[in-house]
Amino acid sequence: MHSTRRRFLRSSIGGAAAIGIGASVPACFSHAAEARATSGERILVVVQMSGGNDGLNTVVPYADGAYLAARPKLGLAPSAVLKCDDDVGFHPTLRGLHDLFEAGRLAVVRAVGYDQPNRSHFESMDIWHTCRRKEEPRSDGWIGRFLDTQRVEAGSDVPALHLGREQQPFAVVSKSVRVPTVKEISEFQLQGKDRQSLRTLLNNSLPATASDSSDSSDLLNFLQSSTTSALAASQRVTEATQSYRSDVQYPETELAKKLRVVAQLIDAGLTTRVYYVQLDGFDTHSLQAATHEVLLREWSDAVSALVRDLDAHGHGQRVCVMTFSEFGRRVAENVSGGTDHGAAGPMFLCGGSVRPGFVGQLPSLTALQDGDLKHEFDFRQVYASVLESWLGTNPTPVLGGSYQPLPLFT
Amino acid sequence: MKDMQGIDPDWAWRPFEPTLEQPWDRFLAAHLYRRAGFGAEHHELESAVARTPAEVIDELISRNTESNDFRATGDALAESVVSGGDPKQLSAAWVYRLLFTPNQLLEKMTLFWHGHFATGADKVQDARMMWNQNQFLREHALGDFRELTQKISQDPAMLIYLDSTSNRKSHPNENFARELMELFCLGEGNYSERDVLELARCFTGWEIKNKRFRKNPYQHDGENKHILGQSGQFDGEDGVRVVLEQPQLEQFLARKWYRYFISDEPSPSAALLQPLADTFRQHNLQIAPTLKMLFKSNIFFSQHAIGRKIKSPAELIVGTLRCLQATTNTQVVAAGLQEIGQGLFFPPNVKGWDGGRAWINSSTLLGRANLFANIFENGATRFGGQSLSEYLKSNGARDVDEAIAYFEKCLLAMPLAATTRAELRQSVDSQPGDEEVKLRYLLRAFTSLPQCQLG
Repeated sequence: MHSTRRRFLRSSIGGAAAIGIGASVPACFSHAAEARATSGERILVVVQMSGGNDGLNTVVPYADGAYLAARPKLGLAPSAVLKCDDDVGFHPTLRGLHDLFEAGRLAVVRAVGYDQPNRSHFESMDIWHTCRRKEEPRSDGWIGRFLDTQRVEAGSDVPALHLGREQQPFAVVSKSVRVPTVKEISEFQLQGKDRQSLRTLLNNSLPATASDSSDSSDLLNFLQSSTTSALAASQRVTEATQSYRSDVQYPETELAKKLRVVAQLIDAGLTTRVYYVQLDGFDTHSLQAATHEVLLREWSDAVSALVRDLDAHGHGQRVCVMTFSEFGRRVAENVSGGTDHGAAGPMFLCGGSVRPGFVGQLPSLTALQDGDLKHEFDFRQVYASVLESWLGTNPTPVLGGSYQPLPLFT
Repeated sequence: MKDMQGIDPDWAWRPFEPTLEQPWDRFLAAHLYRRAGFGAEHHELESAVARTPAEVIDELISRNTESNDFRATGDALAESVVSGGDPKQLSAAWVYRLLFTPNQLLEKMTLFWHGHFATGADKVQDARMMWNQNQFLREHALGDFRELTQKISQDPAMLIYLDSTSNRKSHPNENFARELMELFCLGEGNYSERDVLELARCFTGWEIKNKRFRKNPYQHDGENKHILGQSGQFDGEDGVRVVLEQPQLEQFLARKWYRYFISDEPSPSAALLQPLADTFRQHNLQIAPTLKMLFKSNIFFSQHAIGRKIKSPAELIVGTLRCLQATTNTQVVAAGLQEIGQGLFFPPNVKGWDGGRAWINSSTLLGRANLFANIFENGATRFGGQSLSEYLKSNGARDVDEAIAYFEKCLLAMPLAATTRAELRQSVDSQPGDEEVKLRYLLRAFTSLPQCQLG
């Protein structure tokens, strides 16, 4: 899309949404706003696998003898995997993902990581979220910095949304925008008999501008702006989901419920650019097989349902779903029937304009670093591609450096 | 963020002496109780002000064991739910202790250690083990950090949480060894990956059998290990000892206590923390004398501390209820705490709760307001055994203005702006219902204000 056209669209959508998705606006206006927002800007859905996903049992190098040698118990037999080519296949539960692969809707970037990998969950996750090592100051995340580059219309929709019960991910922390966390639509509104009075009171008692300079004003200003954001976002989200209909059956899992809400919000014409969800439990130190199978099924079924639902509602071409984990796991299994913290692992992107197929070489299972896969790509190369080719922004300032983008989009 | 380098460490940790400008009054006493506990009601504050701050702090610290009576009630409640096996019920039993304990600091520190040695019931899935760990943390909450760490390293719930139930010579489990250094004692960056591998070997043979800890000599690696500059045929106790000898330990704990008790941000410099860290080491890792120094210090009673923390869910909910002598359904409180991000026995991960700004997002802010609605709209919630209007009258607050002033004194770290008071009064006036309904609305609105989220 030409950049001036995109700018025009953005400002007209922002304006339409600001007046169109309000409580007291006639229905014809909201429909007009919906119609325009539907053809609107591209959206990124981030799925985080927390705990360190075992990439080797996700995208299985079944033809490599070293694979079963390193994993006498956990290794998946060639006959079990869903084959993609002569070298690799997906874990047998990844039926939905395999369908996306065959339909040319999925890109897999192999062996993504970073130099001097850190094997602490928290430290490594922070590195993925902030693109910075712990020695460097880090007060915001890469998505947060992307949001800082976007012009946010006052009163428009929140630019990013985190859905889940977990703590808000560092990735969406921004200097200029407060990203709300939503657990369930029903919880995301003021309750109680007196809620209207309280809403009015809270809105009235909040200062229009950041005021006094007492020592604790930083925290108080933060609490005040958070309260404003909470009240505004809850109203908008509640209204936006009221008219949603879908024929796609989502599985009865937490992740699927969250992604269904994402589809509702996208279909309702929210101008939110980034949605963030997490699936936890990938830290499979012991008895991995059963746990990993459940998690992978939840992920694959939920993501493929989302893609089908978005297609059915005509949004398939403007939504990209990106999945990552903070590290892969060690190549060799441990004696507890699990795997320990590793380094590089695969990333997955699916959606309309993704250039399908595998990116990168098959990682060697014998030329390892400390027992772990070496990375071929820095994760910031994937971010750079998403930022530049999908979200349409200059990746260098967001990532704090120049990273060679990968050909991930058509 | 403000530069902390401007604070003189000598001044910061010298004992606070009340002055004419900063007298020892209800305001400062309320600050002390909010931080060293959850909050104090009117009479407790009056009695505190009649003594010196040092006397009040000595008393808070010296109450390091529960009275037999209180313990018996608290334990009976917990035992009744342990047999049911549901850890969520256990959470309500802890809420009872938080709400009614006469040993506030003990409970506050038990909560601290629960976040420090974080163990989640969602993974352990055994109410008995979680409860035993909780009792253990309470027993040592103000005791000896060395003993605390040695024993938590053999705690069944902890070892299940960190996948260390089996630990074989041929394949040492790195998880516990890593977290012992990263999260419990030293902090990331103060050890190498090699130290993790070597330390893990010390714990080989440590396992959980029939829900009990035991050492399996056949699985112990008795060979030489090299950890953090020391070498020997170390076993697990030696491994913990070596970690505890590291000088980064006292800075690491001092920083956590500073953040827990003094202020969320900005992060203090190592130089500022050094005197507190030194005290911890000089007292042989005894917790009580270190906390005594912290609470008695100039910095604790200064503008660097007052109002400079965002209340945790437990501080907000339990604190409000305690300050107003309220009784309510503990299961509603327990479930509510989980909703707004601090489920007791359910920390988010092995790192515990981050605290500070991480408590706050749209969802938890609305959740805080909604939980108060749930509690205060319920007629079963009583205040000193009375209705809210009777309770306020018996404490001298006879109308809406006086009720606002009373809540300000009890619940806020700093006074409200006059315009906010006027907004509150107007909002209450326009509310339908009788006096009790209006006052309960006022309390709900008051506790939902951004100002009330500051501790």
